[in-house]
Amino acid sequence: MSAPPLVEAFGLEKRFAIARPWLARLADRGRGRFVHAVAGVDLAVPRGRTLALVGESGCGKSTLARLLVGLLLPSAGRIRFDGRDLDLRLGRRAWAPVRRRIQMIFQDPYASLDPRWRVADILAEPLEAFGLVRSRGERRERVEELLRQVGLSPADGQKYPHEFSGGQRQRISIARALASRPDFLVCDEPTSALDVSVQAQILNLMKQLQEELDLTYLFISHDLAVVSVMADVVGVMYLGRIVELAPSKELFLRPRHPYTRLLLDTVREPGRRGRLPLAGEVPSPIDPPPGCAFHPRCPWASARCRGERPELEPVGEAHAVACHGVEEGRLPDPRGAPVSSPCAAP
Amino acid sequence: MWAAVRKLRDHELWWHFTRSPLAVGSAGLVFAFVLGALTAPWLAPHDPFDPARVFLADAFLPPVWVEGGDPRFLLGTDDQGRCVLSTILWGARISFFVGVSAVAFSAALGTVLGITAGSVGGAYESLVMRAADVQLTFPGILVALLIGGIARTLVPPALLEAAAVWVVVASIGIAGWPQYARIARAVTLVETSKDYIAAAQVMGLHPVRIMFRHLLPNVIGPISVVGTIGLALAIVSEATLSFLGVGVPPTTPSLGTLIRIGNDFLFSGEWWIVFFPSLALVLLVSAVNLLGDWLRDALDPKLR
Amino acid sequence: MPLLEVEELRIVFDTRKGPLCAVDRASFAIDRGEILGLVGESGAGKSLIATAIIGLLAPPARIAGGTVRLAGRRIDDLDAEAMRRIRGRAIGAIFQDPLGALNPLFTIGRQLEETIRVHRALDRRAARARAVELLRAVGIPDPERRLDAYPHELSGGMRQRVVIALALCADPLLVVADEPTTALDVSVQAQILRLLEQSCRERGAAVLLVTHDLGAIGAIADRVAVLYAGRIVEIGPVAAVVRNPRHPYTRGLLGAIPRIGARPRRLVQIEGTMPRLDAVPTGCAFHPRCPHAVARCRGERPELEPMGEARAVACFRPRGAEGGLG
Repeated sequence: MSAPPLVEAFGLEKRFAIARPWLARLADRGRGRFVHAVAGVDLAVPRGRTLALVGESGCGKSTLARLLVGLLLPSAGRIRFDGRDLDLRLGRRAWAPVRRRIQMIFQDPYASLDPRWRVADILAEPLEAFGLVRSRGERRERVEELLRQVGLSPADGQKYPHEFSGGQRQRISIARALASRPDFLVCDEPTSALDVSVQAQILNLMKQLQEELDLTYLFISHDLAVVSVMADVVGVMYLGRIVELAPSKELFLRPRHPYTRLLLDTVREPGRRGRLPLAGEVPSPIDPPPGCAFHPRCPWASARCRGERPELEPVGEAHAVACHGVEEGRLPDPRGAPVSSPCAAP
Repeated sequence: MWAAVRKLRDHELWWHFTRSPLAVGSAGLVFAFVLGALTAPWLAPHDPFDPARVFLADAFLPPVWVEGGDPRFLLGTDDQGRCVLSTILWGARISFFVGVSAVAFSAALGTVLGITAGSVGGAYESLVMRAADVQLTFPGILVALLIGGIARTLVPPALLEAAAVWVVVASIGIAGWPQYARIARAVTLVETSKDYIAAAQVMGLHPVRIMFRHLLPNVIGPISVVGTIGLALAIVSEATLSFLGVGVPPTTPSLGTLIRIGNDFLFSGEWWIVFFPSLALVLLVSAVNLLGDWLRDALDPKLR
Repeated sequence: MPLLEVEELRIVFDTRKGPLCAVDRASFAIDRGEILGLVGESGAGKSLIATAIIGLLAPPARIAGGTVRLAGRRIDDLDAEAMRRIRGRAIGAIFQDPLGALNPLFTIGRQLEETIRVHRALDRRAARARAVELLRAVGIPDPERRLDAYPHELSGGMRQRVVIALALCADPLLVVADEPTTALDVSVQAQILRLLEQSCRERGAAVLLVTHDLGAIGAIADRVAVLYAGRIVEIGPVAAVVRNPRHPYTRGLLGAIPRIGARPRRLVQIEGTMPRLDAVPTGCAFHPRCPHAVARCRGERPELEPMGEARAVACFRPRGAEGGLG
């Protein structure tokens, strides 16, 4: 954890206007309504490590990912990459100096590759966009190297995406992201569309590549078990905010925030029936509850929780929680993730 | 070359095609018309535009199988002694030329406006799409008449004769763009929501490059389906304009012009002068339409 | 006599290159009140089996062999009308997408009342009372008011609760649930699974739970059948199969699941991918990916053979067998 962070964000926010035709907006003089998809997030991704963001749909984790790669422009806040602030006043061009070094892997392997292009051309696109190859021969060599790097054969370059299975397509997607030799990969649910046996292949590949190429990952997932395998640091998000941030081991051993505890209780593994889960669902981000956004589902909510929003406060070494209950010490002791029966497989 | 033929033969579309008698029939008919139109200068038995070869003495001859028919003129002759079969072949040539050019014009205009509207968004998108909506509230032929009228006042009279065909192409072309723009925008919206466009953005590709390399290929399929159906419509529009006398000049007669000329003799007994050009127009337009319908169904997996 | 008996079920897709076998001689049975999990990865044919049982298989897929019996009566050869009656009364169905299962134009109350009245001679009032009772049973707060809500006004979890209520309307003998939690958030998944289990156990309804999620099966099922490339490769009590998987595919599948607490350098992974329907290998369909395959696996197809307490495995070299792998 001593490595200086590669990517940092300070007070990052993203508001979306609720889409309405401009004529309708004109009619009520532009009093737009907004969704606060990301409502003030501070984070730091340590170099060569993996920061995972975990949360349910609508928690803003995918929006946060897209803010960091420059697919969306933040409404407020700062982003710092490798010690230098991006000049966000430039809009998308703010990313120009770091474009090559920040790449992304997407969730849906069927939508993230242009179906009309051969794999070799898909992989060559970033090479050409960044001017990384000078001749056709160099281009072919680099494409073949990329294919081998992700466990495909050079001959696969001549095929089209539809000739591959979901897992193989995700390999192609990873190869494309690696083409420009980036330092930072944003991975938005890279395995949630895959079957478990294929998921294991992709997760192993990503770990191996991280080691070989010294990559820094921001790993977005809704699956705590996947996160526990991949992450060095975990941020738990709820309705646009990080409610708990801790080193992976610490978080799974001593979860503090009630929402983290809820998520851990819902984890099902074969051979373990899981605890009886909390009732309720994530409220709509259009109209989040006042105070602590989690209070309507929280068994320990007090009057303070209903009125005052808790800030992320340190509770230990590198462990921070946004919860009045934790701060006041009125929550029961955390029970960690139940250690499952030893793996049945050899 | 053979690889391309084999690829076509193995393509799903070809498989569907060979199993639809209607598609094969209408494709054959369209092909015959295209061939006839292209080779009219050689195929037509007479040159109807050479005053030295057209004789008023041959006027009003009925088709060969009618009493008084002349074996030189298979489908009879018109009021000036021109061979009806030859005028139809030459007329189809003009109709096709105007139709294809007009469709190409509106498809190009609509595609550019639609793709840019879909990817730029904002006020520009609203402007383009509302303009399309407004234009769609008027019948296409009315828009074409209006644009043709304006164009004729703008073009110097000396050039009008030469430019007449292009004025028709432009007026039908401009009348048709909203269809294409709507489709291009819809496809653009669907595709830009997919992550391969996001991946291209993460590579820092220029938006125009993304439009050309990723969006355009997706738009071409649906646009070509609408274009095929649009071709039938454009041919009818051209015929209508020419019938009304604001289309191509009578010196280069299209099917519409021929029908207008023949219309004068409909009730005086010389039915063939109007009947055969009309039949040709109906057959051509139906065949193109059926082909377009089939293409749409074959390309749309939901209707299969 | 078991409630549901599926014997040698074969499902094929008719393509222009000829029929493709998607489910090959699948046999299993479900007892009254029992929950059987059918697990497999995408393309294994698990949803096809579920769809075939509820009689909704549509071209190009069709049943090409075998029988399906419900309470001793054959149901795979019934006409559409007779099957429709069975589907309403004896078999309830729950699908992955709750929004697709509900008519967006009617309130959930109206949909429940109509379904209730199709199966029971009740007047409007009584049907409404029964609908309220059902909604309360599936854990919907304030059911009297929610009756007048349209499907889009409910959250995903609430919608799936309504779908479960609809499936339970006629007190069916069997509930077929096809990926009932896949479209839901993790915290809601647990609630819905628990609800499905409780409400079916209370009514004595058997459940066929089709899912790709072994965790879900582990949470509520009594027995599990593992499907690979259209074939059942292992079947048995959940606890026994999970603790001691005998088929190499089951073992690989269990090992590939990431677990909290364990932080291996590498997850166990099964090399390769499931074969496409037009390229299912000869012999055992799993042999090209199997670390223990021998010559016999390539040439001869292993049948599902009983092995130990209420278990069966389709493998020539199952773990725990004499001469097999320890």
